Amino acid sequence: MGVLESADVVLEVANLGKSFPGVQALAGVFFRLRRGEVHAVVGENGAGKSTFMRLLAGLETPDDGEIRFRGRPVRLRHPHAARQLGVAMIHQELMPFLDLTVAENILMGRERTRGPFGWVDRAAQRREAQRLLRQLDVPVSPDCRMRELGVAEMQAVEIARAIGCRAEVMIMDEPTSALSERETRALFRVMGDLRRQGGAIIYISHRLEEVFELADTVTVLRDGRHVVTGPVTAFSRQSLIESMVGPPKPQIAEPRPRIAGVFGGHGRAAGEPDRAANARPAEDAAALVVRGLSRAGAFADVSFAVHRGEIVGLTGLVGAGRTELAQALFGLVEAEAGEVRVHGVAVRLRSPRQAIDHGIALLTEDRKRDGLVLTMSVMHNLTLSGLDRCSRGGWINGRREEAVADALIADFGVRIAHREQSTGTLSGGNQQKVALGKALLPDPDIVILDEPTRGIDVGAKAEIYGLIRRLAQSGKAILLNSSELPEVLALSDRILVMRQGRLSAALDPRRATPAEILHWAMPE
Amino acid sequence: MHPRNIRPWLARYGLLLALVGISLALSLAKPGFLTVSNLINVIRQISINGILAVGVTYVLLTGGVDLSLGSLVALSGVAAACWAHPGEYPVVVPVLIGVLAGALCGAANGAVITWGRVAPFIVTLGMMTVARGLALVISGGRPVSNLSRAFTTLGSADLLGIPVPALILAAVALASHLCLRHLRVGRYVYAVGGNEFAARASGINVVGVKLFAYTVCGACAGLAGVVLASRITTGQPNAGLAYELDAIAAVVIGGTSLSGGVGGVGGTLLGALLMGVINNGLDLLNVSSYYQQIVKGLIIVGAVWLDKRSTK
Amino acid sequence: MKPRSKISGTLLALGWAVAVAVAPGCGRPTGTKTAEAGAAPAQRLTIGVSLMNLSNEFIVMLHQAMLARAGELGVALIVTDAQRSAERQVQQVESFIAQRVDAIILNPCEVEASAPAVEKALAAGIPIVNVNSETRTPPTAFIGSRDEESARLAMEYIVQRLGGRGNIVMMHGFMGQAAQIKRDRGAREVLARHPDIKLLADQTAEWDRAKAMSLMENWIQAYGEKLEAVFAHNDEMGMGAVIALEQARLKSKVIVASVDAIADALQAVQDGRLDATVFQDAKGQGGGAVEAAVRLARQETCAKEVFIPFQLVTRTNAGQFLQTVSRP
Repeated sequence: MGVLESADVVLEVANLGKSFPGVQALAGVFFRLRRGEVHAVVGENGAGKSTFMRLLAGLETPDDGEIRFRGRPVRLRHPHAARQLGVAMIHQELMPFLDLTVAENILMGRERTRGPFGWVDRAAQRREAQRLLRQLDVPVSPDCRMRELGVAEMQAVEIARAIGCRAEVMIMDEPTSALSERETRALFRVMGDLRRQGGAIIYISHRLEEVFELADTVTVLRDGRHVVTGPVTAFSRQSLIESMVGPPKPQIAEPRPRIAGVFGGHGRAAGEPDRAANARPAEDAAALVVRGLSRAGAFADVSFAVHRGEIVGLTGLVGAGRTELAQALFGLVEAEAGEVRVHGVAVRLRSPRQAIDHGIALLTEDRKRDGLVLTMSVMHNLTLSGLDRCSRGGWINGRREEAVADALIADFGVRIAHREQSTGTLSGGNQQKVALGKALLPDPDIVILDEPTRGIDVGAKAEIYGLIRRLAQSGKAILLNSSELPEVLALSDRILVMRQGRLSAALDPRRATPAEILHWAMPE
Repeated sequence: MHPRNIRPWLARYGLLLALVGISLALSLAKPGFLTVSNLINVIRQISINGILAVGVTYVLLTGGVDLSLGSLVALSGVAAACWAHPGEYPVVVPVLIGVLAGALCGAANGAVITWGRVAPFIVTLGMMTVARGLALVISGGRPVSNLSRAFTTLGSADLLGIPVPALILAAVALASHLCLRHLRVGRYVYAVGGNEFAARASGINVVGVKLFAYTVCGACAGLAGVVLASRITTGQPNAGLAYELDAIAAVVIGGTSLSGGVGGVGGTLLGALLMGVINNGLDLLNVSSYYQQIVKGLIIVGAVWLDKRSTK
Repeated sequence: MKPRSKISGTLLALGWAVAVAVAPGCGRPTGTKTAEAGAAPAQRLTIGVSLMNLSNEFIVMLHQAMLARAGELGVALIVTDAQRSAERQVQQVESFIAQRVDAIILNPCEVEASAPAVEKALAAGIPIVNVNSETRTPPTAFIGSRDEESARLAMEYIVQRLGGRGNIVMMHGFMGQAAQIKRDRGAREVLARHPDIKLLADQTAEWDRAKAMSLMENWIQAYGEKLEAVFAHNDEMGMGAVIALEQARLKSKVIVASVDAIADALQAVQDGRLDATVFQDAKGQGGGAVEAAVRLARQETCAKEVFIPFQLVTRTNAGQFLQTVSRP
């Protein structure tokens, strides 16, 4: 390798390894990042991508190997050390200061000050934040409190913050998972600018289209090990997925024979699903009917119905009020007007308990915020909303609980060492399966899925799709709220599009195109 | 053993190890330490702090805090003593009144925290002075003495060689352990402390769970107050000053997280035992009270620090 | 009073609403405004009182004595409780000065830290009477006792019972407080004169009965049969030591003496459980302080310093003291 060539290398990693109690998260990883390069790191969930990034950002310290920055070995004991070298990270799970303003967040740690005592110059802060936001084309006021923003906007602010640091190396961990199409475009444009100016970007994404569109180089990790690195042009979509998944393992085929547990094992006739899917009964026979549902500032006059065995897709831009609608149908927030009928009976939904009692389940949008109790074991999470199934008179039957948990773990294909394992240590995909199992344990008739595949890898996504289809087949009424158009198009029987709090269209997925959906989703 | 394997082991048994280590060191320094009579002495002495600590474990597990414990001890002790004069009522009456007084104050704490949405720190700080004031009002500022023999026996008698207060602690701890491990409401206590939003979205009645935790905590404080009054044979309106801090320290040493969701009664008992052993050992060695305070403080912080390191 | 306070008190413990409703009717007045007396002349005297700590039994007795004497003399008292804080005490005296009271009675928390209260009153020309304990700055008049003397009396009793030779332990009050420092000093004076009396250990139990009990239990473990006597800085701790010794069946071998002569302790002396306590005359001090304040306010003459002597209480004379402190 020539001298000139290696002069371009900003960051080099040799034989990097890291283990956690009971898990070898990363071993023998080699990696090289050049100036002006977008280097994608791909792999399934649990492949070690996040651990790798955390090592580079100084959030963890490696057990083995070496990190060289501009040819000099460095020890990143602390995020601050990484940042001083010019490594900025945009986290997969955002960590904003919710009660500070956007400007304060963007300039956190490098405030514009005046005088010897560090007096913060608010006007200068504002100007700088405004400049960065405009560069990103994000319509957010620097004076807003972070708490008032949506997830996508928060993410944009985080990116602005990293750009503001003039980081030489920017690590982006799933930056687009919460962004709308337009915001994603804006981000790609900014990334292009950064690259032209000689910045280097490490890009982690499950969206392979983005990898092919954006990346110069791809590194594939699998099971904590380095598999292959090469220019993106050397891969096809198929070959990339193959190297992520590895040589075909025996028995990972999609259709699972065990449907007995949660899937329709509770007295629903096996023949019913087909009829329900094909014939469309009258509206009053629908499992869920929503009429004129409104909540100020969130959604207005929403009416639709979901039948048994049917998957109704709900899509639209981020911030269109879809999540609030899902929450209102589960009693997490209260609707102010309108009516909800379950199996033809009007119900009041003032708390999740009531919703669960009416046979409604919700897989929440943000599994870490309100989906799972990460301090508890997998088993305890799985049984949390259905403890009545394994207890008598308030006393939990340990054996019964283990049996219930084991059945759910098998049904949902959760990959864990032990059911007592802490939920916090699982990968995103496995966490999502646990969240799904937990929501479905009370055997609901109506299942609301809010962004069920956010931030999880290709393999886990496919598994979740399979689970959703099987749920519908077992006769459940499913409302699938998702920002990912391919997902909505592939799974839904009908597609509802939401725009600024109102339903704007109901489309047939067999005929609808992404462009058409986007047309109905974009503000007029 | 490989250092990788020693960590989870340390996390689980580190506190027990520390307890054994300190006990061995003390018995070398002072042969009188490791005798049956002194060990019985230690468990008698940790009873009151132990009962308080077990109670406040519930509250800390939900992610809350209770600063009113010491005052509740005084209030329930005085209330119980008022009904414990010789020849008036059977001994269950003062005991129940004491526990009930504590439980009601605890429920009031919980009600204001949940329905009033006021921070637990503030609510229980307020209760700390209110309950102390009530104790002074009831007693007129003077200790309530002349208590029946049956009542004072609670705090002084032995059963099969084990002091009654220690038996009461054992019963409370066992019941709490079963509740937290095997009852639904116990599981919900962990869930609410681990992630209140997720608990709500799982259909858990978060308000009810918190009310339960604060009421149990208050009832335990009431029971501790009864035991204390019986042990010192008076209801003292100024008893129990700063007891809440010792109780919380025992819980935290025992590995229960101040942010909630993690921990348990077993650790709390070990924490209370560790504090009792240190207290007893320093007295036996006649360490100056100035140095005793320094040593205790360092041990509290040190124990939690070690715990954090080993579970990291 | 007694049965009433029991019932109302328990109600109070059972509910806030009840507490608010019942307290003014049944509770004993301990608040800031109290003490009226009958037919007041046109210019009735007002005296401000700042007490160290109204949750201390001796101070409560002092307070009652003051109220009684003020009633007899027909003067109004404004009573405040400093709750052991010298800083709060200074504020209370400042507000008395602002109210232009006729005289001030100060029951100081601290020798040094409460002195500014005296200085401010003197500067404002308002007579101030210290009761029970001293401040660095001398007040207009002092009514009280020397704490050293109480410890000396108790220790001399122990020395005499032991025949000048033996092992003792001492329980301190809250370390650093004036009473603890003085009682410690008094006790050590006696110890210095009797080299054959050996102080095995001394430790604080913070004036607290429960803490004293634990401490005594630990000492029993550490010294066992060697223990011959206990001196505690107050009766609460003395009672704690007695209970612990009784439970260890050692009381017959160990002498316990303490200071204050609270009702509980007097009863215990009468019953032969506690060997001795030292009587501090709350009635004499409280009543004397009010009298002195009234005289000074009327610009009459008054003794600069009145020392009310301590008296040793043993089983032989406990009966007569029990009557003096018997509750109203």
